[in-house]
Parts: sequence; C-alpha cells; structure tokens
Amino acid sequence: MTDIVRTEGLVKRYDGTLAVAGVDLVVQQGEIFGLVGPNGAGKTTTLRILATLLEPSAGTAEIAGLSVTRNPDQVRRVLGFMPDAFGVYDDMKVWEYLDFFARCYAIPPAARRRVIGDLLELVDLADKREAYVQTLSRGMQQRLCLAHALVHDPQVLLLDEPASGLDPRARVELRELLRELRSMGKTILISSHILPELEELCTSVAIVDRGQVLAQGRVAEIERRLRFGAVLRVRLLLEGADLESARDRFAGDPDVASAALLEDGTIELGFRGDDAASARLLAASVAAGLPIVSFARAASDLEELFLQVTSGDREPVATASEGAPRWPS
Amino acid sequence: MAELTATPVLPPVRRFSMFARTVGGVAAIGVKELRGRMRGRRAFIILTIYLLLLGGFALMVEKIVEANYQFGFGGVQAQASPAIGQAIFTALLMLMTLQVVFLAPSSTAGAISLEREKQTLELLVTTPISSLAIVIGKLLSALIYVFLLIAASVPLMAAVFVFGGVAPEDVIRGYVVLIVTAIGLGSFGLLCSSVVKRTTAATAITIFGVLAISIGTIFVLAFWQAMASFDQNGNRRPGPLGIRAPTPVAWINPFMAQADVLCGIGSDASFGGMWCSLISGLVPSNDGVIVTDGGPVPIPGPILQPVPAVPEKGVLQFGRGIAAADVAAVPPQPFGVPRDGLWTRSVALWLGLSALFLILSVQAVSPTRRWRLRRGRRTTPSVGP
Repeated sequence: MTDIVRTEGLVKRYDGTLAVAGVDLVVQQGEIFGLVGPNGAGKTTTLRILATLLEPSAGTAEIAGLSVTRNPDQVRRVLGFMPDAFGVYDDMKVWEYLDFFARCYAIPPAARRRVIGDLLELVDLADKREAYVQTLSRGMQQRLCLAHALVHDPQVLLLDEPASGLDPRARVELRELLRELRSMGKTILISSHILPELEELCTSVAIVDRGQVLAQGRVAEIERRLRFGAVLRVRLLLEGADLESARDRFAGDPDVASAALLEDGTIELGFRGDDAASARLLAASVAAGLPIVSFARAASDLEELFLQVTSGDREPVATASEGAPRWPS
Repeated sequence: MAELTATPVLPPVRRFSMFARTVGGVAAIGVKELRGRMRGRRAFIILTIYLLLLGGFALMVEKIVEANYQFGFGGVQAQASPAIGQAIFTALLMLMTLQVVFLAPSSTAGAISLEREKQTLELLVTTPISSLAIVIGKLLSALIYVFLLIAASVPLMAAVFVFGGVAPEDVIRGYVVLIVTAIGLGSFGLLCSSVVKRTTAATAITIFGVLAISIGTIFVLAFWQAMASFDQNGNRRPGPLGIRAPTPVAWINPFMAQADVLCGIGSDASFGGMWCSLISGLVPSNDGVIVTDGGPVPIPGPILQPVPAVPEKGVLQFGRGIAAADVAAVPPQPFGVPRDGLWTRSVALWLGLSALFLILSVQAVSPTRRWRLRRGRRTTPSVGP
C-alpha cells in the first residue's frame, strides 16, 4: 500500500493562536482514516489545509504526491471535499446542482449526463432528480454534497464531520455509503467527534488534541498501545475484612497502580500491564486461594481511550514502554 | 447501485488550455446563475413591465415637447420634430443611465458575499475553477440582466430616428457609455462583495460609493466652481483651491459622460446646449486663461479643444468659452461642436478601474494565493476557519 496523504510538521497560526501545532499524518491508499478530537483540536484546520483552502504557516502537506501549496490546481482534481458546514444553492434542481460542479471540473457533456445519473443512484437520490435542492432533508443534502465531491471521481475524499446533524437512520445510510466508496478504491479522510461511529467505520484513526496528533495507527493497534490505563474488575466470594485484605493483596502487585473496593463488593484495579500480565495476575490470585467469581477487563472502547488521551489535566495511569503517545506539553 | 465509471472522466491538464479553462469556468458559473435567475416567467414579466414604463415615459416626453411647440414656447414649429427626437433621446438616455448606475452595482454587491454567507463559496473554490473565472462569471451573469434591459431598450430608442435631431453615432455613444458604466460599477459592487464579508454591509458600501460617484462628484465640481473667481474680463482666476477641480472628478461621473454625449447632439437645439453649458459650467476646460505678469497663458489640460476665433453669439457652448476671443492664435475649428471631450475619457477611466477592481476581487476570492500586504504577517484568508 502506498501513502496517499502525508503531512509533515503541519503548523497553522491564526493571529496569536496555534490551531495546528505540527501535525504528522500518513494515510495509506484505500483506508478510511478517522481524525478524532474534541472541538477546536485542529481537525477542521488540518482538513482545510489539505483541501487547499488554507495555507499552512509551516510544514508540508501532500495528496497523491502533489504538494497542496505548490500544485493546488492539480490537488483539487484528485480530491473531493465536503466541509462541515455547507450550503446549497437555492432555486436549483438536484441534477442542476451536480451538473454545475461537473461543469466546474470541465467534464464533457456526454460524460456529465452519465456521471450525474450514476451518482444520484449511488447516493440514493435518483427519484429526487428534478426536486429543488432546498426541499431536500438534511440527510439528503448531506448525501447530495457527498455526491458533488465525487463528480470528478477523486482518489481522496475529505469529509469534515459528515455525520453531524444527521438522525440515526441517515447516519447508518452514510456509513454504508462510505463503505461502498471504500470498496471502489477511494481513500476517505473523515473527521468526527462521534467516536463509536468512527470505531466501526475506520481502518485507522489519529487522535488529535490542541493541534497535535496524540496517537495514530490502526484502531486495534491504538487500543492495544493505549490500554495502559485499563480497569480490571474483580469479584470475590469474600466479605468484610477478608475482602479488604484481598484488595491489599492486589495492590501489592507491581502491575497494579491502584486498587479500590467498591460498594457492591467489587474490587476495581487500575492496571498497567498487558493481557499476558493480567493472565499472570489471575493465575497468581487463584493459586493464592482467592475465591474469584469474575475477573474482567472493563469494556474499553475508543471513547474511553479518547477521553483518557485528550483530557489535559489527567495524567495517564502509567506510561507504556513502547509507542507512548506524545503528550501536549 | 451503479458503479462509478472506472475510466477517469477528467480531460488531461494542459498548460496552454488556461484560457479555455477560464472560459469554461465562466460558462459554468454563468449557466448556474442564469438557471436560477431566469427560471419561470418572473424575469420576463419584469422585462415587459420595464419596457412598458420606458415606452410610456418616452411617449409622455414626446407629448410634452409637442405641446410646448404647439403653443409656441419651444420656438419655430418647423423645428419641433428634431427637438422632440432630442428630447426623447435625452430623457431615455438619462433614465437608463440612472437605472444602470443603481442596478448594475446592486446586482453584483451580493454576488460573492452571498456565496460566503450560504457557505457555498468553499465548495466552489475547491474545484479547479480559477478565481478569475469565478469573478468574471459572477460579474457577467449579474450584468447579463442589465445588458438585457439595455438591449431591450434599443428598439424603443430607435424611435428617435423617426423624429430626427439625433444621429446614429450619438445613440451609439450613449450606449457605449451605458455598457462601460454597467461593467465599471458592476465591478465596483463585486469588489465590495468579495472584500466585505456580509452582504448587507457590502450593499451599503456599494450604494454609498455609487452616490459619491454620481452626486458627490457634482458637488465637488460645483464647490470648486464657486471657489473660483473671475476678473473684470471674465477670465477665471485661481481661487483658494486652484483654478478648477481636477478633471478626473468629472470623468468618473457617468452622468457627466452622458451629458457630454448629449452635448454632442447639436448646439442649436435647446437640449444639447443645456448639457453643454452644464459641463462648461462645472468643468471649465480651455476657456479660462490665467492672466499672469507675463501675459495670458492658455491652460494646458486634457480637455483642450480647438477654439473658434469668433464665438457664436447668444449661445453658451461647451468648448467655446467666455474668454475665447483672447486666444486668437488658436486656429478656428472648421465646423460642428467640439465633442467627445469627456465621455471618451470617462469610458477609458472606467475600463481601467474595472480591470483594477476585478484583479482585487480575484485576490480576495482566492483562498491561498493572496498577495501579502505586509511581510512577515500572513493575512487571514477570506474563507476563514
């Protein structure tokens, strides 16, 4: 696989504020790449730089080997961009809307008709062909805007918060659509703060906060790398003082950062080891004669990781030895 | 679901096709704008009403002048027909100038800022369409309705030839000024629209600009005129502001340019003469002679015209002035009125200004390739965060 989007040391300064502070991204061809971060993290600015709408203050950005600053015209031909807030022209029919953008890309008339028909089929708006754009629902407008970004058959799609403002059904439809686009060989860069969605959809993610990439890679890999703060929940067939001594026993383990006795009798362990370490801890506990009812890792999803990584005032439970994220200083 | 075409649909990028690409972009914008604007009957109903009003106005002017001649106010009845022709020409031309002066800039004042407000500009600038094509396309599609109104008035204007008194060249001159004024003020509105973020503000600034151009300049000229003084021979003497206003102040006013065109239709009729005297009153050209210690010195100036040795009596005419007899050395003009002194310069000035406004608009629309006004500090792009 080849790198199709690459940024190095991307910096964007607005008067006095640093919106993007040295972002390095590598997106490989055919991926659905999620840019995750809280509002104001620099996701939109990064996408805008890639979409040739902003000039970076420093650093380089390339799409399909073309510099976005030196060859913006060529870059615009290989990418389709859908901004987070977009408008539609009033007084325009759905097919005319696509026809207009197809004309902007200088697509010849015969090909234009074919592309408009294909795209309306793709985004499931074929029966709305003659409808006026402003009469479409928000979800339909979103799909139409996505279709507009596809008229020139771009290699890369930049979608800024495409799911915002959509109802659950429209989100599912959008997700299906993006999967279909991926199967057509498109690389999709998508920014969002709605994490469960990205988790299902994306092949890779970058977690961004305060203009910096905190972690980047395959979803599973990031989860593995960042799971230094995992929580183990242990239930024992013990009560009272026995339970407290069991808690103290767990606290003595070198991989356990903290041990707390919850009101329902569960012991919650802040655990810094990996899966092998937790297996070893379980074996040691059983060998020591503790009556363990359940021993489970608390369900950790991207959302939890995200909160853990991006909360500025909370230190990680421990720093993993490899692949440690760079924390904002 | 349909598969997207596997073969690339984009034509290959060629360096030499820059011009063709710009034309294609202009066409794309034009088609889009006109689809929205000309849909349904609205545009054509407005056009019909406009023509009815214009025709009714011309008819009324005709009746008024005719009535004046009937009761002997206008002069000899045999001269009534050319006078009617000139009156209709004058009335229609000034009315259409008024219409162009306000319609052209107000139709472009929202062209870019509306796209920005509706958040469609970003979709547009991320296509390969150039900023130049966006600006030209917006200008032309906004002006095309103005041009349509102008073109629709041509048959009506042709009615003046039934009465006579106006030459075809005069009509052509008038239309040249109209079209250039539409382009110039349209570009001005477009510049306001692309620099100012909000449409309401852009429209307000545009209207203020138009008022300054059309009324403010007249005021400046009149004020300057009032400040000048004359000696006992009627020669203009330098006042506290100098001898006269800078003539470009007059060139920039489209109404002054049209007055010059109307002045050219002939000095004999009251209508032409009226405009000539208006111009020579506000924009003294070569008439004034500064009397210095060394003797009379003709004032060099861009509106310098040959002056006849003996001015006609009784009629104050543009280019033949109060002190013309003092400049006996200048060879006399063989025939006709001195003309084309002002409107040609007005047209040239506005064409230049249009080009300047459009270049600045392109810079304001372009997201990344903006000129750096100050080194070291980057300007905030027009499509902000």
